[in-house]
Amino acid sequence: MTMTTQARLDGDASTIGRPTPQVNAQEKLTGRALYGGDFRTPGMLHLKVLRSPYAHARIISIDTAAASALPGVHAVLTGDDTPDRLTGVHRKQHRILATSKVRFVGEEVVAVAAIDEDTARDALDLVRVEYEPLPLVHNMDEALSPGTIEVHESTGNLSIEYKVERGDVDSAFARAALVHEATYETTSQYPGYLEPMATVAWVEGDGRLVVRASTQTAFLQRNRFAEALGLPVSAVRVIQSTVGGAFGGKTVEECNSLICAWMAYRLGRPVRFVNSRLDDFLGARSSPAERIWLKMGVDNQGLIIAKEVKILADCGAYEGLATHVLQVSLVRSDNMHRYLKDVRLHGRLAFTNHPPRGAVRGFGGPQAAFALNSHMAELAEKLGIDPVEFMRRNAVRAGDTTVHGFELGSAGLTECLDQVSEGIGWITKKARRPDTGLKRRGIGFAGAIHVSGNREMGNWDGSIVTARMTTDGRVTLSTGESDMGQGAYTMLAQCCASELAIPVSHVTVLPTDTDVSPYGHGSIASRVTILAGNAAIRAGREIRGRLLALASETLGVPEGDLTVSGGEIFATSALPNRRLTFGELARMHIYRHGGEELRVTATYDPPTFLAMSRPDQYGNVAPGYSFAAQAVEVEVDTETGQVEILETFVSDDCGKAINPLAVHGQTCGAAAMSIGWALYEEMKFQDCQLLNGNFADYTMPTAESLPNIQSGIIESLEPNGPYGAKGASETAMLPGAAAIANAVYDAVGVRIRELPITPEKILAGLREQEATAAARERRHA
Amino acid sequence: MRDFDYLMPETVGEVSGLLARLGDDCRMIAGGTALLLALRQRMVTPTHLVSLARVRGLRGITYDPRDGLRIGALTTHAAVARSPLVRQRYPVLADMASRLANPQVRNQGTLGGNLCYADPTTDPPTCLAALEAMLVLGSARGYRYLPVTDFLVDYYASALEPDEVLTEIRIPAPRFDFGYHARFHRTAAEHRPLINLALLARRDGDVVGEARLVVGATTVVPTRVAAAEAVLAGRRVTAALAREAADIVAEAIDPVSDIRGGSAFRRDMVRVVARRTIERLVEQDSEGRIVA
Repeated sequence: MTMTTQARLDGDASTIGRPTPQVNAQEKLTGRALYGGDFRTPGMLHLKVLRSPYAHARIISIDTAAASALPGVHAVLTGDDTPDRLTGVHRKQHRILATSKVRFVGEEVVAVAAIDEDTARDALDLVRVEYEPLPLVHNMDEALSPGTIEVHESTGNLSIEYKVERGDVDSAFARAALVHEATYETTSQYPGYLEPMATVAWVEGDGRLVVRASTQTAFLQRNRFAEALGLPVSAVRVIQSTVGGAFGGKTVEECNSLICAWMAYRLGRPVRFVNSRLDDFLGARSSPAERIWLKMGVDNQGLIIAKEVKILADCGAYEGLATHVLQVSLVRSDNMHRYLKDVRLHGRLAFTNHPPRGAVRGFGGPQAAFALNSHMAELAEKLGIDPVEFMRRNAVRAGDTTVHGFELGSAGLTECLDQVSEGIGWITKKARRPDTGLKRRGIGFAGAIHVSGNREMGNWDGSIVTARMTTDGRVTLSTGESDMGQGAYTMLAQCCASELAIPVSHVTVLPTDTDVSPYGHGSIASRVTILAGNAAIRAGREIRGRLLALASETLGVPEGDLTVSGGEIFATSALPNRRLTFGELARMHIYRHGGEELRVTATYDPPTFLAMSRPDQYGNVAPGYSFAAQAVEVEVDTETGQVEILETFVSDDCGKAINPLAVHGQTCGAAAMSIGWALYEEMKFQDCQLLNGNFADYTMPTAESLPNIQSGIIESLEPNGPYGAKGASETAMLPGAAAIANAVYDAVGVRIRELPITPEKILAGLREQEATAAARERRHA
Repeated sequence: MRDFDYLMPETVGEVSGLLARLGDDCRMIAGGTALLLALRQRMVTPTHLVSLARVRGLRGITYDPRDGLRIGALTTHAAVARSPLVRQRYPVLADMASRLANPQVRNQGTLGGNLCYADPTTDPPTCLAALEAMLVLGSARGYRYLPVTDFLVDYYASALEPDEVLTEIRIPAPRFDFGYHARFHRTAAEHRPLINLALLARRDGDVVGEARLVVGATTVVPTRVAAAEAVLAGRRVTAALAREAADIVAEAIDPVSDIRGGSAFRRDMVRVVARRTIERLVEQDSEGRIVA
């Protein structure tokens, strides 16, 4: 294994692998951080949008006269005022505001800019829109039934279809000793970040558009705004504000930033648009609901040898990233099975009149992991083997090339399984006599795979970091990747500081500003640690090299006789008193004939393959693959159907924990999010209208409703990773729901295949059991 | 939120006069926990807020053996929970107040405000109904007294006249030696009780002398179940009696049905909550079953 290592110049100074507080924690805790809506600029107007109350309707007319006449109102604009060109991620399907037709409840129809938010809201009340309601496409089954009205003309309501087949699936199933098939359903999850989407946009004196927004992907946003407004990319500048959580919801799908940017450009005045929580529930992209049919064949050794997957997913009204989400649900989890060669996949994504669905933490992984791990637990029971042992027997290992072409430089799945088993006391608990009282305990378990990076855009999955040494010997880093609370800036500072043997506090990471930061795809696909981390190391080394060269020349000492430590370079042995501080060197670098600021740019583009360009989706898409496992012990109240999580242990194979404190935080946060998805959260719709768009009725987990989450780290040392590290923010989101479902089954024998796991469903299952038992007794009587 | 004038009268008479004059354009504000949300969402858009903060005679907790407990309407839930008088004489009320809603509401919300808002899915109404609380309503026309069960008339509707102020909550001297307010959530992440149930009883060993049983949160107003009280009276508490009474409770109520829970599920859960609460009258094992 060729791990990225180097002679540690000052081992004690490095924070790599040590719990390190977030570099931006203090400004957040003291209230100094400026989030999306905090920024103010002179002459700024406030924007509010009128949303469609209909899930599917034709817009007959819009009367804005009364709203426009209201004092304090500067503009009341409709879809007809927006550029003709359509916008969207891949498929361009809508204008900046709706024209002629609305396709979901919450679609933006009219935008008002006024002197304050209250006036803007008053104006919205005065707008009269006449709609002609159309029949709804209520759900994905209806969507794909012949004769159903189309959400988008000439699509047949089919957004995308994937068909992949490898090997000889039918004969593999014929060889199998055991075949099991079942259907699983997942529900949409709202990303639930603390900070609702917020943007302030304005036009500079030179006519360029500046958009300051809460975003994970500043450069992708710049491209999107430029395209939607018909501007050269160079005429748009995106500045990333402090991001109060994103979870996939703040990439290029939400429309708050787009509407705000357009309004500011059109009016030539600063405009601020902050989503209310209801705006955000209606306008954000939640995860696609999926129905997953699984059929798996196992040989007499308990090895998975055949697999068939059919997924039908609900795209909602517009196509954003949901096509990629479906691809991930379909393809990725197969790569956990070491012996699988024969697999058939069929995925369809249907347009409905639900709100558009898209990227949310895990990006299709949680849906697939719920189905797969539930299915594997069912298979293990039929096989009569322990589910952990079943997964261990089939677990991929470092050096494997998987069924879909993933090349695993590292793989800690087996170690994750061992760690969670031990962590929760799996063997002891498994051996326990089943509870028979009103409250019954059970244990469950699940495992998962995720990518660290994913080559998909423009056949480049690189990351660029620019490092400048200021004349005091400290370093400023610029990057196109975002810190949205996950710890990216801390990680980058640690990597660079470690290479230069200086304290983390001597490195400042700047928020992305597309005018000055190097290009980057942004913080998606758990790509930042493995890609930007490598770039930061390269940048640090390049700076160090330049410092050493200058010191050598200045001191007249060969580089080999110089030591870097404590922000200084000094000559070892022979000339003990010859030393130069980084500050002195940085100044010398400039203040000389032909001098220049000490500034370097480093890029890391991984050796991966653009599998999405091939119809068969085959190839090594990521420089590293993360694994996770989770074990859960629940107690089910058989009278109320309530599930209490007594204990849970989550393991994350993040390659190497550059910052164990941040990894622990990410693991626990991801586990909490999966517990919420499994047990507590449910977007409730009636005729495609969201009924619970607020935190009183959409109940995310609270401190009271979560167990003490125990977490462990597996360091599998990824050869491509910075110091061996991989991504650690999404994988732990994947196993939770199935682990809970499996534990509920272990406790009371009720198999929940449809999320969320509600008291009502558990009670219904228990009653079914009782009815079956009673019928059996009657037959025997 | 729209602009409003903030008025700070000092007597009940002044408040009443303002309410009468301003009518629907004004709202009283006590703790404001519910009103602020409604204002921000523009569910109400008053031009005037009448603050009760400076009004004399709306605060304090006193007790005397003849008249019982008097709680000023502006008393916060946290103050009720902390009060040595309440903890000593009406532990069921202190316990309920210490667990309701969340710390923000307990510290800011007032008992009077809770009752006037008449939100059916909160805890105080059910507990106060079991305690047979009497409310004092003041106006420029004088004072009147109304049992809490007559005050709460429907979903978010009370018997408060437009010019009236709830000034005090009175609770008769304690007659019971057992009290428990059960607060049941559908899941641990929900904030509002799906069901609550208050049970008060006088006991002689494991025999119930007299009982009061009130169900709320799942009915539009707290519902006293006299038939269940009658079944319990004079009987020894057994698992069978608890089941019998719980069945009566479950059948007697008229549960609401909404996105938080269907009526059949609510009725089933009322049965469970009622049985488990009744079983608290006697010693139980670790599973909550009656030992005897």
